[in-house]
Amino acid sequence: MALDTSIPVLVVDDYKTMIRIIRNLLKQLGFEDVDEAADGTEALGKMKERRYGLVISDWNMEPMTGYELLKQVRSDSSLSKTPFIMVTAESKTENVIAAKKAGVNNYIVKPFNAPTLKSKIEAVFGD
Amino acid sequence: MSDMSSEHVAKIIDFLRNERKAEDVSLEDVMRLAELMAESFQSFFKTMDLAIYTELGEMAREIANMKEELALLRLSDMRDEHIPTAGRELDAIVEATEEATNTIMSAAEEIMAADVTDSDAYQALVGEKVIDIFQACSFQDITGQRISKVVSTLNALDKRITTLVEKLKIMRITDAAGEETASEKRARELMLHGPQFKGEGVSQDDIDAFF
Repeated sequence: MALDTSIPVLVVDDYKTMIRIIRNLLKQLGFEDVDEAADGTEALGKMKERRYGLVISDWNMEPMTGYELLKQVRSDSSLSKTPFIMVTAESKTENVIAAKKAGVNNYIVKPFNAPTLKSKIEAVFGD
Repeated sequence: MSDMSSEHVAKIIDFLRNERKAEDVSLEDVMRLAELMAESFQSFFKTMDLAIYTELGEMAREIANMKEELALLRLSDMRDEHIPTAGRELDAIVEATEEATNTIMSAAEEIMAADVTDSDAYQALVGEKVIDIFQACSFQDITGQRISKVVSTLNALDKRITTLVEKLKIMRITDAAGEETASEKRARELMLHGPQFKGEGVSQDDIDAFF
């Protein structure tokens, strides 16, 4: 099954350059409908206004971290099914376990490359 | 006690009446007070016991020596010059890397968006943008030099602190358990560790296996 690249994607990161990198990589993969947010609070606000097909979020942000965003999303019945990929420099075992426990669909450690992002998106959508 | 002159007592009273706030009291102030006290008690104990008098004389000399040694460490240079300079160097590194990243990304974006049907124009554009990318990569040389200067400052700071600890004979200080700050609490609760050194965190392969 081909990857549905028409879905709207929300990229959440407090580092503008990283958003730009992910946006360009997504564009290379065919995703054109990409929104952005600078932290979990802004992302949650956007998610309540629009239904996203995928959220790609950093962990370490202020005031709301990606981990807190993930827990909020999973506890909100209207958002809980949204696929969620964590893209972060946090590579301690406890972070990965906590994210998995909180319901993350996949976890990418920075720095990463385009094939890794592609394979994780494909894994999330079962391709 | 009659030999503890009224002049010495007056000096101590003057010092204490100087309306210093706790945060304004420096190590030098404390040492000055100790010196005044030592001088005062010297004359008092002189009449009582020569051994104690000699001991107090030693203490006064030790304090005077310590002051001279502290002055030789030029700690104020670190505070007024070296540390602020290191901060400026780090700011410049952040600025330079950001500028280089933006240049490289803009060049790559222009190549991505270019029209490939006109091969001559496309080739010229790619050539021009590749040169831009090469030029932007020169930031590494400059930031490398700036980082070396910051490392030198940290080494100098480490050396001076070590010397200070030795001079003050406080080698056996035990770490007091300080109160956790709000940001430390947040970092602990939300598992904000930041990037790990190579080989210290879990690898992408380990994560993939876990998922």
